[in-house]
Amino acid sequence: MKPAPFRYHRPQSLGEALALLSGHPDARVIAGGQSLGPMMNMRLAQPAELVDLNDLKNLSFVNEHENALEIGALTRHHAVATSPLVRKHCPLLAEAAQTIGHYAIRSRGTLGGSLAHADPAAQLPLVAATLGAEIAVAGKRGERRIAAKDFFVSLMSTALEPDEILVSARFPKAAPGERHAYLQFSRRQGDFAIVAVACTLLHQKLKIGIGGVEDKPVVLLDLEPSDPAALGRAAREAVDPTENPRVPALYRKELVEVLVKRCVAKCLTSS
Amino acid sequence: MAKPRFRHIGAALPRKEDLRLLTGHGRYVDDIEIPGALHACFVRSPHPHARIKAITTDPARQSSGVVAVFTGADLAQWTTPLRMAPPIEGLLPVEMTTLPMDKVRFHGDPVACVIAESRYLAEDAAERVEVEYEPLPAVADLQQALAAGAPLVDESLPSNLVSVQKYSTGDVAARRREAHRVLECAFHQQRMTHLPIETRGCAALWDEGRQHLTLHIGSQVPHPLRTQLAARMRLSESQVTISSPDVGGGFGQKIALYREELTVAAASRRLKRPVRWREDRMENLLAASHAREDSCRTRAAVTKEGRLLGLELEILEDFGAYCFYPANYLARVVAMILTGPYKLRDYAFEVKVALTNKCGNGPMRAPMAVTSWVMEGTMDAIARELALDPLEVRRLNMVEPGDLPYTMPSGEVIADITPRETLEAAVKAIDYAGFRGRQAAARREGRHLGLGLCSVVESTTYGSKFYKAAGIPGSGHEAAWLRIEPSGAVNASLGLGATGQGYETAFAQVVADGLGVEPSQVRIQLGNTDVAPYGMGSRGARGGTAGGAALYLCARDASEKVLAIAAQMLGFDSAEGLRMVDGKVEREILGERVETGITLAQVARTAYLDPTALPAGMAPGLDFSKTYDPPPMTYSNAAHACEVEVDVETGAIRILRYLVAEDCGTVLNPFVVEGQQHGAIAMGLSGALLEHMRYDEHAQNITGSLADYLVATATDLPNFEVLAMHTPSRSNPVGTKGMAEGGVMGATGAIANAVNDALAPFGVLAERQPLSPDYLRSLLRSARRGAR
Amino acid sequence: MLDFELTVNGERHAVRAEPRKLLCDVLREDCRLTGTHVGCEHGVCGACTVLIDGRPARACLTYAVQMQGHEITTIEAVAKDGKPSALQQALHEAHGLQCGFCTPGIVMTFEAYLKENPRPSEEAVREVLSGNLCRCTGYQNIVAAILRVAQAASDGKA
Repeated sequence: MKPAPFRYHRPQSLGEALALLSGHPDARVIAGGQSLGPMMNMRLAQPAELVDLNDLKNLSFVNEHENALEIGALTRHHAVATSPLVRKHCPLLAEAAQTIGHYAIRSRGTLGGSLAHADPAAQLPLVAATLGAEIAVAGKRGERRIAAKDFFVSLMSTALEPDEILVSARFPKAAPGERHAYLQFSRRQGDFAIVAVACTLLHQKLKIGIGGVEDKPVVLLDLEPSDPAALGRAAREAVDPTENPRVPALYRKELVEVLVKRCVAKCLTSS
Repeated sequence: MAKPRFRHIGAALPRKEDLRLLTGHGRYVDDIEIPGALHACFVRSPHPHARIKAITTDPARQSSGVVAVFTGADLAQWTTPLRMAPPIEGLLPVEMTTLPMDKVRFHGDPVACVIAESRYLAEDAAERVEVEYEPLPAVADLQQALAAGAPLVDESLPSNLVSVQKYSTGDVAARRREAHRVLECAFHQQRMTHLPIETRGCAALWDEGRQHLTLHIGSQVPHPLRTQLAARMRLSESQVTISSPDVGGGFGQKIALYREELTVAAASRRLKRPVRWREDRMENLLAASHAREDSCRTRAAVTKEGRLLGLELEILEDFGAYCFYPANYLARVVAMILTGPYKLRDYAFEVKVALTNKCGNGPMRAPMAVTSWVMEGTMDAIARELALDPLEVRRLNMVEPGDLPYTMPSGEVIADITPRETLEAAVKAIDYAGFRGRQAAARREGRHLGLGLCSVVESTTYGSKFYKAAGIPGSGHEAAWLRIEPSGAVNASLGLGATGQGYETAFAQVVADGLGVEPSQVRIQLGNTDVAPYGMGSRGARGGTAGGAALYLCARDASEKVLAIAAQMLGFDSAEGLRMVDGKVEREILGERVETGITLAQVARTAYLDPTALPAGMAPGLDFSKTYDPPPMTYSNAAHACEVEVDVETGAIRILRYLVAEDCGTVLNPFVVEGQQHGAIAMGLSGALLEHMRYDEHAQNITGSLADYLVATATDLPNFEVLAMHTPSRSNPVGTKGMAEGGVMGATGAIANAVNDALAPFGVLAERQPLSPDYLRSLLRSARRGAR
Repeated sequence: MLDFELTVNGERHAVRAEPRKLLCDVLREDCRLTGTHVGCEHGVCGACTVLIDGRPARACLTYAVQMQGHEITTIEAVAKDGKPSALQQALHEAHGLQCGFCTPGIVMTFEAYLKENPRPSEEAVREVLSGNLCRCTGYQNIVAAILRVAQAASDGKA
């Protein structure tokens, strides 16, 4: 299981990286490599050019703005999960990031990589969609910002153009009094979730994000924080899981019901 | 408690192996530097069943760094086929060539081998080997295999049924007629694989001048492997050396001579260059060796008190596409030992084994893993049917100490085991009496607890007489060799192949007691067939008993000669009253031990360098060997108890407590034994909960990565409570009973029984493993009283 | 082929390799440090875990060429002057290894983790250990060994 040959590029600036991408249509960027690495080793991905972003240190940051935290694409999951700023202002993000893969994976994997990979069962796309994050991408025409709901297009597919690079994401800060909860169900610790649920409660309005079920995160907005069981049943009806030889769609629907119920109950009782 | 018989055997000595393994200085096959070695990569079939119409290797040969590309036709010139045709009634003979030539039989079957300067280049070239296939209808499961007109996996056979064996004793039909109830149970154990963290691999070095092959390979059975490799390359055993270094786990996967290894050896000879191969994980999952996949049914005739009158067993095993072992080899043992600790006269079994278009099966740690689940699940079913306490049903049927030795209905004899003692200890330790109250209280809160019991009688150390009686070729003997060097240093060896069992430590303790030295003075040299004596290797929990006894007896021989020389040096007529303790010869005078001043080093020096000082007629040197054939079968036993909580909304299982009371006879090293207990239970639980080698309905393997083949991690397993209740066996000189597989058997059954206990209020029963959350949900969904 | 320099365990190694060559393969074949084991090549088993600038990482998901300018630490550097680290010693005393193939990855993971979290709970230890597969031990003695080191750190500080 060895990767196919590629040419290696190590740009020292974002501009250089973008130039490499626009010059080579068959190029892929690599940051943490925790998703692309296995695919290349199995030769499921065989890019001719590999553009390594790891020297772009200025893409690794957590910046506080008035209403949002801006997190650089190269910020490792471990740094996101343990950042005092993230814990304080985006506790849902910190909590979810802490459940990504395993310790060594979190030490290496990056926020930008996870968002751009857009695995429908992954934590960060779910949190970004639930919180309504805004994703900044750079291209040779400049930078553009894409709302999470428009960024995730379908299964491992995003609004990112082949010659663009995801540079950062802005997550709205939790408002005073905002509550949150996160729950996921997987076969083992660190496995991709079969179903993951994130929810927030503010001014008696619930937001529920559901991952792992459809080809991108499903977000239910402006729900009345009523009986968790009723919300679970409603969520179950609202999702349309893809059939899969390993996990029957019916089972995923059941998990959605149970996890939404539990997540909402947890959210309502959290402080 | 009797006074310990041994000074070093039984001591909790930390392992001698550890330092090198902890510091990165272990030496596994891939760590051996071989200048100029070429790398092999196999081209594998994407089809489960297809004719090979043509193989075009030219583009691959022209690929960068490629030295050769070999196919089945090439290998057929240099190697002989494997014929599996032991004279066993009901078992059909089969044969396979080194690489397939006419058709492929499973997804992953190797069809060509690329040899290149590096593994990277070999993989590049493997993508350029063009194989033209004509796909054939495939057989994906037992049902398809046994259907009328099913495609034939092996066209030399009349059907896919490769083995059928029946047995009956007493009159089970009569017992059924007399019975208060007759109940039927089903148990389906899924397909698994061994998954050593070090995959298979080897490095072959052909010496053209000496016409000699050295194969570095992690092997559990170096000598039998050499015999087979030599024969299939038309070499003599003196032209082949097997050298097995540190091995990163085997669990039964490193016993057979695989086609890839034979190909690599033949390629080295052909090219007159070293060739190495390291299987990648995808290959290991698709094509190394699989295991299990048994469908078992029991029919039990019982009295209204719950006494077992008669028992019938039917096993159907899915053996995969190729027979690296006799096809009946694994399932038959299940049938022979099924009844375990229970008294029964009337018993019948039918064991059928079928070929399918899947990777071939082999023995995996506890080849008979399903046994205890089948028997103890049947015991629980009896209790459920009759509304009795499952513990009472067990007590009623279990042999009493006075019944031993007891002949099982299969003819197997159990002796020196303690099933009642371990069962009572386990139920006491887990508070069986208090559990029902806790369970009822939890149910009132909507929490579903379950407790499962599982008694295990583990067959170990299969002796030659067992093999003969079972119609399996081979021997159960083991061999030991011991040499005291002129300095007094002690080297010893066995035919065993270490894969992590701490042999270098535990067997040093055996030598230490047999000879009278300190374990630190003893070096155990394993794995090289030029050094090790011809023994049958490590399999079937035989190391401690067959190996331990052989080595102990060998060390006793050595001790006898050492003391005879010492007596001569001291001017005594005989060695009576002399013994050696920690390398110093002592003499017993009126019950007191007195040092004589003679040391092993002095004796050794005399033996080698001053032979004229030896007793008259004694040959110089201190070199000993011994072989030992154990009794037909040695049994150890245990009682497992497991408490779980089932989340009935998600189907998730959490293990709250796990406990085992085990009797495996004399313990060579308690660290090692407890480690084996942990490991075996872990493997059993991992299999029962998570592992599943899956093929789709077209026989495509859909389990090609460790994200698909799930094994237990540290968060899936509890701490195991171990009650050591060891009583020595009287059937071998050390008193060991063999162990390290029973944990798999017990865990497989205990967790299933616990989960079914938790599910009882819903009126559903899990009859399949793995006990995955979606499987449990599918049961609960269909429950009539499916209250949540 | 590219020529580049790697810093491994404080020593510089001149390497000539294709860019695609995995860090684990370069460590083993070019730097001749075979203590880093390869178990799956897709980041799951954890056997190849090394430290990159002190942080644990899968050497099978890293190309050696990426490591120019970074510090790699492997299992060979953990024992100092032949003396095992506290963690290695605890694994020995608690029988926390059997075949030993997964052991270097576990040692590297926890050498890093215990620096960051010197006194973890058993639950935390098991969560981190879940990133390393061991097929021999059932994990219990590995967990016990790590907790023993944590306890010793605790006692030392108290």
